[in-house]
Amino acid sequence: MDFKELTEKFGGKLDAQAKWDDCVVVPREYLHNVAAFLKDDPSCKMDMLVDIAGIDYLTYPNHEGPRFAISYAFKSLKHPGLRLRLKVLVSESDLKVPTISDLYANANWYEREVFDQFGIVFTGHPDLRRLLNHVEFVGHPLRKDYPAQKRQWLSTNDYLLPELEKRLETLGYWIVQRSKEVETKDNEFLEGSVKE
Amino acid sequence: MTDEAQKPSIITSSLDFLVNWGRTNSLWPFPYGTACCAIEFMSTEVGRYDLSRIGSEYVRFTPRQSDVLLVAGTITYKQAPILKRIYEQMAEPRWVIAMGACACSGGFYDCYCTVPGIDHIIPVDVYIGGCPSRPEAFFDAMFDLQKKIKDESYMKQRASRVKDQLEMIKAKTAEAKAAAKDFAQEKVEMAKEFVAEKEQELVKKAQFWKE
Repeated sequence: MDFKELTEKFGGKLDAQAKWDDCVVVPREYLHNVAAFLKDDPSCKMDMLVDIAGIDYLTYPNHEGPRFAISYAFKSLKHPGLRLRLKVLVSESDLKVPTISDLYANANWYEREVFDQFGIVFTGHPDLRRLLNHVEFVGHPLRKDYPAQKRQWLSTNDYLLPELEKRLETLGYWIVQRSKEVETKDNEFLEGSVKE
Repeated sequence: MTDEAQKPSIITSSLDFLVNWGRTNSLWPFPYGTACCAIEFMSTEVGRYDLSRIGSEYVRFTPRQSDVLLVAGTITYKQAPILKRIYEQMAEPRWVIAMGACACSGGFYDCYCTVPGIDHIIPVDVYIGGCPSRPEAFFDAMFDLQKKIKDESYMKQRASRVKDQLEMIKAKTAEAKAAAKDFAQEKVEMAKEFVAEKEQELVKKAQFWKE
């Protein structure tokens, strides 16, 4: 496949630096259209999203252009061995990329991870929260200007039961008793665990 | 027919010895396994190495029934409050073993997300090196822990506990006394004010009648 459609229709450019695979740099506005095209077109049928990765070019030697990039890796199950990488360049002043989680369901968590580690906002994402780091974390650790050994303590553990109950309710379950977080005190932690 | 077993028999011993004997030979671990060290612990537990030889027969998956908290694996900052909470839920007496390089010092994860040693969160009794540590090393740590428990004195611990409780009771009674004193003082002041008001009223009335 020579990716003529991508370069002609969507204004993509073949990445000259990619040595080992095919990489197309796509403008941000056409990303969703390109993903839909790749998924549905019978000539490629890339129905598997392998990975979404963020790239920070801050300390990259001889780099010109925007600071951040997002790399999407696709794979075709219909045409064996057909793989493609899309790259979207994002500048630091406008960190917004359209989501593709409506096309690929697994893009949901990949995009949450990229948001967590790089701070890139995916517009239209249903639930854009941190995935790997804890809720009290400040900053985005995989950016090159984050000091790698700067540690941040978490004071409480995440209380996820109400969220779980909400999700169960959407699936049609009936919640008999809603759970409430128990605040433990240092002296009387055994009393705190007794039901009211 | 007289049987030796039917005769009344007495064994004399110290309470410390008896309690420590019981504790050393029934250490029930709580496996907090997050990485490959937990796999090594599994092989320690089952047939070939057989941890139940030293009485650690039951691996308890609730902190309320276990004696030893076995932290086997990497602890991240997201997990730190959970580990602390589990340690707080364990009943006294409780001991902690840090198994492997990650639990002891953070291992080679010198980064933003890994706790550099669980002793930043909870007190640790025995450290085991290795990445992951061998079952023999784990046994060695258990023997070390047993030695440590044999050195402990139940009666001294109990005495210190009773002392703490006495001090707490004293402090609380002192607080209550101070509160009662304050209350009484307030009452007295209120009564004084009341009397003063009444006196003033009487004086006024007397003046009125004089005039």
